[in-house]
Amino acid sequence: MQGLHLTSLLSILILMITAFIMPVIKQRQLVTKISLATMGVVLVMLALVAVDVARVEHYTATIGHYDAPFGITFDIGPIEAVVGVLFAFVSTMVVWYASFGIHKEIKENRVKLFYTLIHLLLASLLGIVFTSDLFNSFVFIEVSTLAACGLIAIKDKPENIKATMKYLILSSLGSGLVLMGIAYLYSMTGHLNMRAIHETLQVSVAGNERAILVSLTMFTIGLGIKAAMFPLHIWLPDAHASAPGPSSAILSGIVIKAPVVLLFKVLFMVYGHEILKDTVILNLILIFGATGMIMGSLFARVQTDLKRMVAYSSVAQMGYIFFGFGLGNAMGMTIAIYHILAHGLTKSCLFLSVSSFIEQTGQRDIDNMRGIGREMPITLAIFSLGGLSMVGIPMLPGFVSKWNLALAAIDYGQIFLLLIILASSLLNVSYYFPIIINGYFGNANLEGKIYKSKMKPVRELVPLILLSIMMVIVGFGSGPILDWIASAMPSL
Amino acid sequence: MISFLASHYFQIGTVILFGVGFMTLLLNNNLIRKIIGLNIMDTSIFLFFITIGYTGGREAPIINGAFKGIDAYVTPIPTGLMLTGIVVAVSTTAFALALTILFYERFGTIDLSEVMDSRGD
Repeated sequence: MQGLHLTSLLSILILMITAFIMPVIKQRQLVTKISLATMGVVLVMLALVAVDVARVEHYTATIGHYDAPFGITFDIGPIEAVVGVLFAFVSTMVVWYASFGIHKEIKENRVKLFYTLIHLLLASLLGIVFTSDLFNSFVFIEVSTLAACGLIAIKDKPENIKATMKYLILSSLGSGLVLMGIAYLYSMTGHLNMRAIHETLQVSVAGNERAILVSLTMFTIGLGIKAAMFPLHIWLPDAHASAPGPSSAILSGIVIKAPVVLLFKVLFMVYGHEILKDTVILNLILIFGATGMIMGSLFARVQTDLKRMVAYSSVAQMGYIFFGFGLGNAMGMTIAIYHILAHGLTKSCLFLSVSSFIEQTGQRDIDNMRGIGREMPITLAIFSLGGLSMVGIPMLPGFVSKWNLALAAIDYGQIFLLLIILASSLLNVSYYFPIIINGYFGNANLEGKIYKSKMKPVRELVPLILLSIMMVIVGFGSGPILDWIASAMPSL
Repeated sequence: MISFLASHYFQIGTVILFGVGFMTLLLNNNLIRKIIGLNIMDTSIFLFFITIGYTGGREAPIINGAFKGIDAYVTPIPTGLMLTGIVVAVSTTAFALALTILFYERFGTIDLSEVMDSRGD
């Protein structure tokens, strides 16, 4: 059905159009309703796309009836469909959550702009994931960077301005590198379409080895900065910890995932395994990923600010994704994509529950969260579920990732990599469990706390509960999801 | 070597410019200089793209009078792309400048090193 093929494009267009309607509407309630409705529509559309992809395996939407090497096309396979649905789902839930409390965190007159930015952000992230034109993806990356910067700076506190500045500068460095990488590829092949570049590159490797290596490094570093690959993560904790709660959930849950998907497409669909196996790039990504898994957790352990701790945990979890890519085998890549799903759902859950702790208690320090389980039992239960998933308790998505990552590492032939996965999991235990235990148990902790005294009304918790249910579903249904993602892996 | 330098001086120049811009953006602490570095970096990439698209002796792809055959015109794609690239760079610069104003209002300085705490985390 040609009509259905353009659904992916239509979802982006709807978001872009509604984004700019927001600022001219007067009532905040109406803006919220429009935003929620749009998000719902986009979610349904992307679910339709996913169903369609499941039936025909793969489809291409051409834009403006110009065919592949010249026109821009959206190439949508299982990976893109899954990630697209994830992005839409997380944004819908975050917008739903934000509709109850965002006006308490930011100035009243900026609430509309908040929704504008979220719409623009989701549109550009979907664009990055769907497009198969490299220059097009660069433009979407820039839009997403500016929108994400806006979502941090919208709170207008000095630390927000500082964090935004840091993020903007490092992101610009990354964009510059990506654009230069695209320029190198264009000069070698004369194409911008990923498939066309791949085909041309396969025959023109000889004589171009150095240019290929340089452009490959530029893509890896450039997208690595945006995706918080370990030594390049320095912007992330400030940005994600200072942003308003719902922004943090979006930023940590999906914004850092889109560059990862693009990196995956560039590495394995543009360059291809034939070229990669002669370079050191994959080993480099593996080392960065492994150090990120350990160091991110170590940094998270020493934080005293709850939100900063969760932000550092993101660095560690991105390490898992890069670790999967670095292994370079089909299983590692499948798990990396699955972990995008797992971490996106889990981390947005964690950030939203943390932001409701902060909103209700006015405290940010981990020490002040003692006994929170009596005051806000449901929210802490959701936080605990997220924490357990991060640690890797069986049947939750974090466990599925770790288990399969371990299998992939054995398949790769380096047993010591198992130790890194194990050490990282134990470190996760050491910073998530104290919060959960001190929150629920201990007479000294619970003294003077009144049961359910600070609880939010249940209807405000519905998006959080839906997110955690989805997380559990993704964990239990990991088999089919993994099979589906694996069916799209480029042959090695 | 010399002939390579002579025939590729445009590309070499752009890569040097890219390095200059990149290092200014990365290492300079003054925000305005950082933004200047960002612009040098972006401009160098535009120049690089344009030089890829240029073929000596050919005209811009605008048919004025008779069509001279496809070999008479340069490829218009890089130029078109860079038009978009310039727009993107301008918006990033505008955003960065606006943020610099906010930064100055909050901290009373545009020097990043005076504000950033050098904690190792």
